[in-house]
Amino acid sequence: MWRLNKVRHKAVRHGDSLEELKLKRREHERALRQARRDRQLVSKRLLLNDDEDQPEVTMDTNTGEQDAVGLFLKLQHGGLGREAHLEALSKVLRDPSAQLAFLKQENSMHLLVGFLTGSDATCRLQAVRCLHELSHSPHASVSSACLPATPYLLTYLSGQSTKFSELCLYTLGNLCPDSDAVKEKLLAQGIIPALASCLENQRHNLAVVEAVGFTLSQFLQAKNAAEKIIPAVLASSLPSNLLSVLTPDPKFGLAPAIECAWCLHYLACSMKDNRELLAHGALLQCSSLLVSLGGAVAEGNKEEGLELFICPLLRCVGNLLSSCPVKELSTQAGDVRIVAALCTLVQAFLQSRPALARESAWVLNNLTALSSASCSALLTLNLVPGLMKLLPFSQGINTMILRILANIAHKKKHFCAQLTRCGLLSALCATLKMADQEMVTLSMDVLYMLVVGGPQVAEEFVKQGGFPLLEALQYNGEGAIRRRATHLLERHLLSCSSYCSENVPCS
Amino acid sequence: MLRPEPGRPESPRDARPGGGGGEGEGEEGEEGNPFDFAPQPVRLHRDHELFEDGDVLRHLYLQDLYVSEEAEDKRAVSEFACHFSSCSAVFSSLEEYEHHYNSLHRHVCCSCRRSLPSARLLDLHIQEWHDSLFTILAQRQDMYQCLVEGCGQKFRTSKHRKDHLVRIHKYPPDFRFDKTKKNRGTQQTKGQQQKDTAMEVVDEVCEGTSDPPEQGESMETYVCEEEAARMATPASSEEHADVSAADPSTESPSTEPPKARFSYRLVFKQVRWK
Repeated sequence: MWRLNKVRHKAVRHGDSLEELKLKRREHERALRQARRDRQLVSKRLLLNDDEDQPEVTMDTNTGEQDAVGLFLKLQHGGLGREAHLEALSKVLRDPSAQLAFLKQENSMHLLVGFLTGSDATCRLQAVRCLHELSHSPHASVSSACLPATPYLLTYLSGQSTKFSELCLYTLGNLCPDSDAVKEKLLAQGIIPALASCLENQRHNLAVVEAVGFTLSQFLQAKNAAEKIIPAVLASSLPSNLLSVLTPDPKFGLAPAIECAWCLHYLACSMKDNRELLAHGALLQCSSLLVSLGGAVAEGNKEEGLELFICPLLRCVGNLLSSCPVKELSTQAGDVRIVAALCTLVQAFLQSRPALARESAWVLNNLTALSSASCSALLTLNLVPGLMKLLPFSQGINTMILRILANIAHKKKHFCAQLTRCGLLSALCATLKMADQEMVTLSMDVLYMLVVGGPQVAEEFVKQGGFPLLEALQYNGEGAIRRRATHLLERHLLSCSSYCSENVPCS
Repeated sequence: MLRPEPGRPESPRDARPGGGGGEGEGEEGEEGNPFDFAPQPVRLHRDHELFEDGDVLRHLYLQDLYVSEEAEDKRAVSEFACHFSSCSAVFSSLEEYEHHYNSLHRHVCCSCRRSLPSARLLDLHIQEWHDSLFTILAQRQDMYQCLVEGCGQKFRTSKHRKDHLVRIHKYPPDFRFDKTKKNRGTQQTKGQQQKDTAMEVVDEVCEGTSDPPEQGESMETYVCEEEAARMATPASSEEHADVSAADPSTESPSTEPPKARFSYRLVFKQVRWK
């Protein structure tokens, strides 16, 4: 299991300077980013031995290969010392080339399966550890070699020691992404029902919960998951059990909740219609979790890894909102405190994790688009000025914020009046000057709603020097912008008393 | 990037005519009303680009490479770098950047790559250093203009001009008056040999602060950051109001707004997100 209070870095080797560490990390990040763009983002997890603190791959390749073969031969020979040999083998198999050397030996997998299903419990544990090391291999050929063991791993999912179950689960999770053939086999062997009953029976055992969550998330990320895997998952007890363990346990830490949250996200974003998840109360639970997390963040609690948990929750709420029938909205997302939580998250992540700030703003857009109560709450809780301060920020945050403000203005005329009182007009004078066309268009949309919402708004806008901004926009390259500017000028602003007769604004 | 698309099945709420159903629509049936905003929830599918950063973070965590933000080297949103490729200056505020840019990069002589603090001084520099006609005329008439704008006096040599500036306009005698070309000769060739532009001048010029004053200084103000910062404060620059570093207020005021816009455009290009 992964305890976040013990952050481990694969890249850390003793003697690495801080700069080298940063460089390595940037390299890794770049590789992952590219993999994501290629839609090839997959990961495996390695469960370390209890005495290990970091994954050590220090052995000499040649020795590793020789040792692997030597140990195999000893084990095949039988006799005493099997447990020790197996344990040694599991350590040797950490090395990728030793793995290949081992598998090249005829009947090597057969031997392991024999131990896996044998009567000696210690040998079973060591055998599964060997399989786990093999599953972590970067070579796809290795995972297909492990297929003979998988039916047994599935059988062992429940009713074993925690360590054993964890090893089985992570091994299966690691094998999943390597090839479609492996996935097909595992699905045919019934991995989804096996995971469902494992989670059902071991809900109290958070280490196992985490392992189930990870393994399930591997399957849910498959390319064809929506057709082949997700319907089966939704039909099982998995969704309700995932939701039941979503609240983090303060002693154990965030890790199991993180895995389950990511599973829920993959479920919610893959299907167009989320009625099963909604029926299980997923939106309600994720929203209320965000409310408490927002409160925690507002108080300055920056528990390590919180963002790993907040991210999938945001995504669940965002996508579930867009699937939620209007009549269910008040029951599923009725707690308006969520708007405060979302505003907190936008501010909190703005500097450190801007992508999460963007996602928080996205959720707020969905909420305000659908719920008049949330618009009202933003106004009464005086959260609008804080949002307006974010309008200069670029890269998608400002357009999302402006959309939120537009959603509010669109709901009711007297919301427009309140928005005007918050100083939105002068913010618009700034956004109308931006280069981003979407910002300019949205700004005029908002301005139009404000102007139509109250008679003196147009005057106020002209007084603040907005007239020349619109005049300039009449010459914009985009037709949509020109038409809006002209419409505003001709139909609404020309009649202002602050508009001088000589066609020059008096400011 | 995230424009919701009406009519697509993923967002079921877009089919309402005119959108929303709220009261703020006013002239909705009116002819030619181009405003069609409608509140729109947006559904994001798994591979959407907006999810990229979060996904990468997730997998960094799975691969034991996650670093919390406290441990990480935080790059603030507002930190950005000068856009001149050879200039490695970094700033955390717009004013800083604007100041840097105005001091170092705005008025650069094309011929010798020197950076001058104002347009006027740049003009004078070009005239006096790179205009052969000027050299010819200077042999016969007073060509060296007083640096103080509005004074209008001209002098036969740069030394006369310097004396005038000290005596009449109260410049300090050790102010960086124009060097003769001869003294800057070696540095000039060095500047021209190197490929980089303004940054080379800065390097040169900054190194030049260690030169003893007798070797002569140039009319261009030394644009090391500390210098520029010092000279920027209006109070201290009153004495040398007209030749102090990046004090655009002494220049024609009408040029100020366009300058500011230009800077902002540059800056927004460089604002980088992690």
